[in-house]
Amino acid sequence: MSVETVNVAAAASEETGLLSRAGVLRRLARDKIAAAAALALTLIVLSAVFAPLIAPYDPYLTDLTKVMQPPSAEHWFGTDNTGRDIFSRILYGTRNTLMLGLVGVVIGGFLGGVLGILAAYYRRADGWIMRLVDVMLAFPAILIGLAVAAIFGAGLTAVVIALVVATVPDVARVARGSAVGVMGQEFMEAGRAVGVSDGTLIWRYLTLNCISTIFVFLTLRFGQIILIGSALGFLGMGAQPPTAELGMMAAQGRDFLFMAPHIATIPSFAIFVIVLAANLLGDATRDVLDPRLQQ
Amino acid sequence: MGRQIVHRLLISFPALLGVLFLCFCLLQVVPADPAMIIAGPEAKAETIAAIRQELGLDRPIPVQFAEYIGRVLRGDLGRSIISNKMVSEELALTIGPTVELMLGGMLIAIPIGLTLGTLAAVRRGTIVDRIIMAFSVAGVSMPVFFIGLILIQYMGFKWGLFPFTGRTGPIWDGGLPSLVLPALTLGSVLIGPIARLTRTAVLEVLGADFVRTARAKGLRETAVIVHHALRNALIPVVTLIGLQAAFLLGGAVVTETMFSWPGVGRLAVGAIVSSDFPTAQGAIMILAIAFLSINLLVDILYVYLDPRVQRT
Repeated sequence: MSVETVNVAAAASEETGLLSRAGVLRRLARDKIAAAAALALTLIVLSAVFAPLIAPYDPYLTDLTKVMQPPSAEHWFGTDNTGRDIFSRILYGTRNTLMLGLVGVVIGGFLGGVLGILAAYYRRADGWIMRLVDVMLAFPAILIGLAVAAIFGAGLTAVVIALVVATVPDVARVARGSAVGVMGQEFMEAGRAVGVSDGTLIWRYLTLNCISTIFVFLTLRFGQIILIGSALGFLGMGAQPPTAELGMMAAQGRDFLFMAPHIATIPSFAIFVIVLAANLLGDATRDVLDPRLQQ
Repeated sequence: MGRQIVHRLLISFPALLGVLFLCFCLLQVVPADPAMIIAGPEAKAETIAAIRQELGLDRPIPVQFAEYIGRVLRGDLGRSIISNKMVSEELALTIGPTVELMLGGMLIAIPIGLTLGTLAAVRRGTIVDRIIMAFSVAGVSMPVFFIGLILIQYMGFKWGLFPFTGRTGPIWDGGLPSLVLPALTLGSVLIGPIARLTRTAVLEVLGADFVRTARAKGLRETAVIVHHALRNALIPVVTLIGLQAAFLLGGAVVTETMFSWPGVGRLAVGAIVSSDFPTAQGAIMILAIAFLSINLLVDILYVYLDPRVQRT
């Protein structure tokens, strides 16, 4: 009997998303803007992954005979104040910036998802978990970044912690909302009635049914997380020179804005393109998965 | 309504306590021992112990925390390691400029966002709608400092329209020109989200029965939209502005740093860079409390705007 209820729960999770993903992808592909955004994001990710192969120059190699050169055939995006090739640095910088966003979203999404689902399942813990979430919400991400940097010193760790803390409370709220809905379903009650263990109920019944909602929310958040990460980089709380990170590169270029504006504006523009692609794709995914918007 | 507000105040109390505790921890885990700093590098162990006792550092953590809250309530946030001034005095000088900047940003963003969003909703599906929505998606995806860099480069440096470093004084004392670019930078990040949400909210309200009634009784279209549709659409928009407060505070920190605006955010960043822990802690605490207060204010405004909330 319990096998049967597990199957019902599994079937429900298939309906809500996991296995219907192929359908979602098909519908996304039909949306031209979403397709373009997906293509752009894929290209960005690929160029970041294969940066060592694509980059025409060493991103850390300084050449004082070629400082602050404007974009040219030799240096596509020009050179910075120490003569480093900006195109190569953008490739490596994109790598770091994307990695920061991804780590923040994945760890934050996992922790937030666990908190939200546990809050929905164990009603007694609900109040405590949600109060904790409220306190976390009281600290804007930039402030967390500043606080962590104040304690441990500026660096990528400070930014990752800030991004995780910025992601957890929102995801916890979304996951809890979704899980509370699933808790009201009959198969949960049936599962309990036939004596399915808490662990199985939480994982196979509850989590698999909430995961697509959490996933969509995370895709929507990804762009914001990158913006926060690069803002912290810009403030000098993140990657330290000479490491290439887009926000920090923009901050370094700020000192030469009037002589060579491209040093600051090209990394800023790169962040804009990444976030725009992520936002457009996130919006489109939500539109496809939210049945209310399709009507 | 009074009960609602009291209830909301009670809910924000644990969050406030959490904020204070985190700020307290900030000083606890800092690598440097304050007693050793005061005693100097060649002090004997007994001297350091005596200073620790004098500062209360040898007492249990809960007692220290209670004392810390007492000090915060008295406005004593310690002394800056760098300038040796009272942190509270330094903060007092910076709060005004930050509030000025945030209000300036909102004053720019809210009217523009509301107008664009309403326009997009009324002209739904047309080219106007598409342009406005494309503009707002782009706005949401733009790093604050990118907008700031462009404004500094063109409106500040090339065209020389407005000053772009520092603050010349309060608005009533000739300080307005220096506020323009920072406020524009900060406000521009809010326009997109406000326009998007206003569009959705107005669209929802435009389909409602009371709008049809208003039209049926022969009201002019402008009156229908401004008095009936927009006013009701304001409820989610006000919530959004509250939710964006975090974003706005973060944006303020970046904007202040860019424009050398003497606000709390710049003070915090500068203090962290120079390892001035008491100042950093005080500035972070003020920013967090400001954020909590904005959310509280938004919730109270919400009760006022939406009579349905009052009844529940």
